[in-house]
Amino acid sequence: MSTATNNPETGGPRVLPDRLLEVDDLVMNFPVRGGGLLRRTVGQVQAVSGVSFGVAAGETLGIVGESGCGKSTTGRAILQLHTPTSGSVRFQGRELTSMSTRDLRPVRKDLQIVFQDPYASLNPKLPVNDIVSEPLKIHKEWHKREGMERIADLLKLVGLNPEHGNRFPHEFSGGQRQRVGIARALALEPKMLVLDEPVSALDVSVQAGVINLLEDLQQRMNLGYLFIAHDLSIVRHISDRVAVMYLGRIVEIASRDDLYASGRHPYTRALLSAAPVADPVKERQRERISLTGDVPSPLNPPSGCRFRTRCWKAEDICASETPPLVPRGTAPDHLVACHFPEEGPTGF
Amino acid sequence: MSREDTTVSASPRAGAATGSIQAADEDVAGDPSTEILRVEDLTVRFPTDDGTVNAVRGVSYVLHPREVLGIVGESGSGKSVSSMAVMGLLPRTARVEGKVLFRGADVLRMRREEQRSLRGRKIGMIFQDPMTAMNPVLTVGYQLAEAVRSHEHISQAAALKRAQEMLDLVGIPQAKDRLRAYPHEFSGGMRQRAMIAMAVINHPDVIFADEPTTALDVTVQAQILDTLLEVKDAVDAAIVFITHDLGVIAGIADRVLVMYAGKPVETAGVDEIFSAPRMPYTAGLLGSMPRLDLIGEKLRPIQGTPPSLINLPTGCPFRPRCPLAVEQCATVEPSLAETDRRDHHAACHRWADLAGYEDATEVFRSGPGIEGGRSS
Repeated sequence: MSTATNNPETGGPRVLPDRLLEVDDLVMNFPVRGGGLLRRTVGQVQAVSGVSFGVAAGETLGIVGESGCGKSTTGRAILQLHTPTSGSVRFQGRELTSMSTRDLRPVRKDLQIVFQDPYASLNPKLPVNDIVSEPLKIHKEWHKREGMERIADLLKLVGLNPEHGNRFPHEFSGGQRQRVGIARALALEPKMLVLDEPVSALDVSVQAGVINLLEDLQQRMNLGYLFIAHDLSIVRHISDRVAVMYLGRIVEIASRDDLYASGRHPYTRALLSAAPVADPVKERQRERISLTGDVPSPLNPPSGCRFRTRCWKAEDICASETPPLVPRGTAPDHLVACHFPEEGPTGF
Repeated sequence: MSREDTTVSASPRAGAATGSIQAADEDVAGDPSTEILRVEDLTVRFPTDDGTVNAVRGVSYVLHPREVLGIVGESGSGKSVSSMAVMGLLPRTARVEGKVLFRGADVLRMRREEQRSLRGRKIGMIFQDPMTAMNPVLTVGYQLAEAVRSHEHISQAAALKRAQEMLDLVGIPQAKDRLRAYPHEFSGGMRQRAMIAMAVINHPDVIFADEPTTALDVTVQAQILDTLLEVKDAVDAAIVFITHDLGVIAGIADRVLVMYAGKPVETAGVDEIFSAPRMPYTAGLLGSMPRLDLIGEKLRPIQGTPPSLINLPTGCPFRPRCPLAVEQCATVEPSLAETDRRDHHAACHRWADLAGYEDATEVFRSGPGIEGGRSS
């Protein structure tokens, strides 16, 4: 399969049958309202500006980027938790953006989300059994007789003791809570999970256990994952393909090995060079690309290439022309949005 | 175990990690005149309704000028509490015992005013969240000047000038104009730079940095770490760097102290910790990190969770999660002792068995108690 077809600049939308999820030119603007009586819209926060990608069954697409790059907003817009400003989100061939809330409900059975904070995403007043059975009840799949057995199976599946089902979230550790969140997301046997920073709130030793669990579940159920995270080494570990976002746009998308070994966008390079590596010898040897300045405001993003204000290679064309996301690597599915892509290995 | 293997793997030692910070009990040869800070057998307990929380159970270390001591541990390991105790910032309910000698004077025996004159002047502090560490209704310049004037009798103008120099030093552009800005007008990275400026404005001897980059993005984190190291050299300070992130430790520390359940369980030069861990917990932390050479393999996490600090298990607190545990581990809590390697101490009965593995994270591969270890 080729990802080149979802490029908004060159090709129109095309449905690829082997893609579970197909996102095309997704735009998500949030209005900023003035303080006056009329609360007029005085600006737009351009959180996501034309993002396209696909996820196949059994595949993990990692989305990395720094805070405010729009990675979480993208995840939420896919689930229609935010109504996208424009663009299309097709799941199993069906367009979600034009669906009514009622029509969306059966779709959500197959498309579930796991949130970052296992402390805020579980109802503290409900015992774990009720939390995990809630999706089944909402979707009218709760059968009194087998129901509890199903919950016990789910808890076992995520590595929790079913006997603890009557306990409340506060009685569990962070890692265990995240497992409850995963059990809840899996209750309806979805086809795809959006994982929004699922391990970043957890301690390292606990993180690894949850990552292993996610990998096992994917293998067993052929799940598609959209794995949103800022930790580059975890994304490399779990993803098949990786997209790098900067200020609302995908600047590079490639297979994991291509991206980490020979990522070509200057921002990708900067990100890789800044990520800490747990090896003191390597840390001393490697060269770091130090970015100057801060990420510009998404209220008023730079013209042309949005990275140009911090890029050491920027020239006039970068301000006047937005670089299209086109094949620039050795592999046809290695897309880079840059006028002057870098050469050679990344050294990561 | 094979000593051959272990000595070979230690070869990549660069000059940065000569490790003159030593475990206090071993520091017989150390010249006390160059010690800045010596912590001896520090314990912190918090009485609560559920029982006494043993947050810190005997921490000792010595800090020399210009050195970076990294303290690593997971949440609840006591890494932050032990440092707060050193700075005298714990609430009055905390029961702190042991010795904290700052240039020979015991901080814990000082009066509050004496402690206060030390903090901010001789001991600088940087916390995780720069937004809550600064006063939102005062300008950055005022707050920096205040940090100077609370310890020195100089004019506001002179203090502001010093503030401007410091903002320059930490790499904030247009420092003069920025003095009049409020914290909310700064980005996260700039705020943390301002915090660093505030921490070093009185040229401290020690900087305590408690997870200073955890709330920041990676590119900003890299900038801040570089800044911190530059500033440290500019003002000739030593740093105690507290973090949960082994990647950050690898890049910044000269020497590392690994904490678990309120105690140091391993201490060594930074290269040693990563290449030849002698405590299974450290190996477990390393195994939990995704590694380049193990792509496509499962991570090797530590099973279970850290113990409650109210009801600690008998013997070694890591025993319930340790794949190498034997009967002795259940009865006798190991203390920090010498290992086969120079300047490398571990609190483990089985460090010699761990040393037998070429890759120490192997012991966590198939979960506790399945392979290796138990036979001997």
